Amino acid sequence: MVVSPDIALQVVIWGLYAGCIYILLATGLNLIFGVMKIVNFAHGEVLMLGAFVTFTFFTISGFNPYVLLAASVPILIVLGVMIERLCFRPILGTGKLNEIFISLGLIYIIQNAAAIIWTDEWRIIHSPYESITISVFGVNMPLDYLIIIITTIAILVALYLFLRKTTHGRAMRATSQNRKGAMLMGINVERMDMISFGIGAGLAGAAGTLWAVSGQVFNPYMGSLPAIKAFAIVIIGGLGSIPGAIIGGLIYGIAENFAIFTLGGAWKDAISFLILILVLIVRPTGIFGESSE
Amino acid sequence: MIDLKNRRNLMQLAALAAAAVIPFLLGANLYILTVLILMLVFIIYSSAWNFLTYTGQGSLGHAAFFGLGGYGSTLIAVATGLSPYITIFIGAGLPALVGLFIGAICVRLKEWFLAMVTFGFAIIIQTLMVSQFSAWSGGWDGIASPRLLSSSIPNYLLIEYYSILAITVLVIVLFAIILRSRIGLAFAAIRENELEARAAGINPVKYRLFAFMTSAYFAGVAGALEIHHMGYITPEIFGVDISFWPVIYSISGGLGTLAGPVIGTVVITLLWDGLQSLGISYARYIVIGILLVLIIIFLPKGLISLPGRIREWMETRAKKS
Repeated sequence: MVVSPDIALQVVIWGLYAGCIYILLATGLNLIFGVMKIVNFAHGEVLMLGAFVTFTFFTISGFNPYVLLAASVPILIVLGVMIERLCFRPILGTGKLNEIFISLGLIYIIQNAAAIIWTDEWRIIHSPYESITISVFGVNMPLDYLIIIITTIAILVALYLFLRKTTHGRAMRATSQNRKGAMLMGINVERMDMISFGIGAGLAGAAGTLWAVSGQVFNPYMGSLPAIKAFAIVIIGGLGSIPGAIIGGLIYGIAENFAIFTLGGAWKDAISFLILILVLIVRPTGIFGESSE
Repeated sequence: MIDLKNRRNLMQLAALAAAAVIPFLLGANLYILTVLILMLVFIIYSSAWNFLTYTGQGSLGHAAFFGLGGYGSTLIAVATGLSPYITIFIGAGLPALVGLFIGAICVRLKEWFLAMVTFGFAIIIQTLMVSQFSAWSGGWDGIASPRLLSSSIPNYLLIEYYSILAITVLVIVLFAIILRSRIGLAFAAIRENELEARAAGINPVKYRLFAFMTSAYFAGVAGALEIHHMGYITPEIFGVDISFWPVIYSISGGLGTLAGPVIGTVVITLLWDGLQSLGISYARYIVIGILLVLIIIFLPKGLISLPGRIREWMETRAKKS
């Protein structure tokens, strides 16, 4: 099937926007993995909660949903810290796959708690800019997509500055490079665990808000797939590598949208795993991963 | 092999006896028999999943094999007219082959990498079933599958129950024999230290593939049994839930033990159906989730270690007083 350049460009734009949500999720996972060396499979449930918290605020207040980011993200940071303290800290350093198993438990708890609170209907938030389309460099795109892309860039820049310039950020990087060494330098590594988990949850919550605002539907069970894909992105980009997460996220977003165009909608989810498997066959540690795990 | 003085053997016999008489104690009505049959099917399924963990591998996509067993057996039974009791064991060859293929791809991967790839395969296979292969699989609508036994036979569910019980016992005994043989020792060596296992002349790739294939085969048998019991198959069988259940059962019962998946399946299924009969729907997932989290944190060896832990606790209390 031949795709004309115009359509190709359009698909790339959609991919960029879809990629933004994956990037936010994958960056959070990476941050947590870097510091704690664990994987939180329940990350997508935080995204789902982000969407629902925004939905609730939006229905009550009617504010511009983008502004509500400032209200929903702190709530999810607190929730992330609670999850870390109650579930992940007790199992640090125990069996290898325990964090995956405990995440399964968390997925069940969070999904169904949300189903009790908000019911399992599909919800949607209508953005105030829904009908506005703007033209950038001759490409038409909804204004919402542009805002989402800019918001994501702003969040990533803020995260970069935090990690590079602040004491806490430096301490976090030190912990992820060498936990014991960091401890010897007087860094409270458990506090770093907590902060990284909080930030990770906050990023996932932001992704949830953006997911909802972009006009995509959501229900309590929708979080798993984006999270698993984000995890695949983390693997492709290399565990612990944030630039890898960004590039991987963009590749995924674009590949997914091309798959819908060429193979049909049924392949939207499968294509991302196909890419993952192909990458892992060639390079078992991911594209940007270090040679040892 | 059977020594009545050995407490473990006694427990095994007691469990078997309980499984044999339970339909008479509870009354052989449709609902109870269905619950019991599905319990047995999931005991086979969880045991097959658990078999994989003996080599230090894990999977989050066993629904792929469970479902392929169902499709394989159904398609063969429809095409040839053979009894499902025969096609189950032929049809499970399909997931075994796919398992060999996936295993060969994953053989270099470990831990969460493996978990992710297996999860992905379940989704890819579901997608193939509803798109490229929909001519055979009936797409999302699914296809009818021949029943294990015709419902015109008197007490057909009771016969189904006992035949599936026999298959379950055979599968577990087979696993026990494999694990007690040299193969089981090789599994343990690979799990504990792959490098040393290699130095001792064990080829990890060979054993990993064998474990993967065996696990996929019996997961397929379980899937085929369920489908022939239900009489219908749809691609929902590849769902994430179906992949997660054996993980939950095995962990709550006790990973890496033969009794673990059995105990886990029985306890969680009873809890699950008990909560349902109380009219609790969403909340029972929450109960299971909380139980799982608590077991992982406080009982890392699963419910199977609970009696020992209680005894330990009683002893320390007795000492203190």
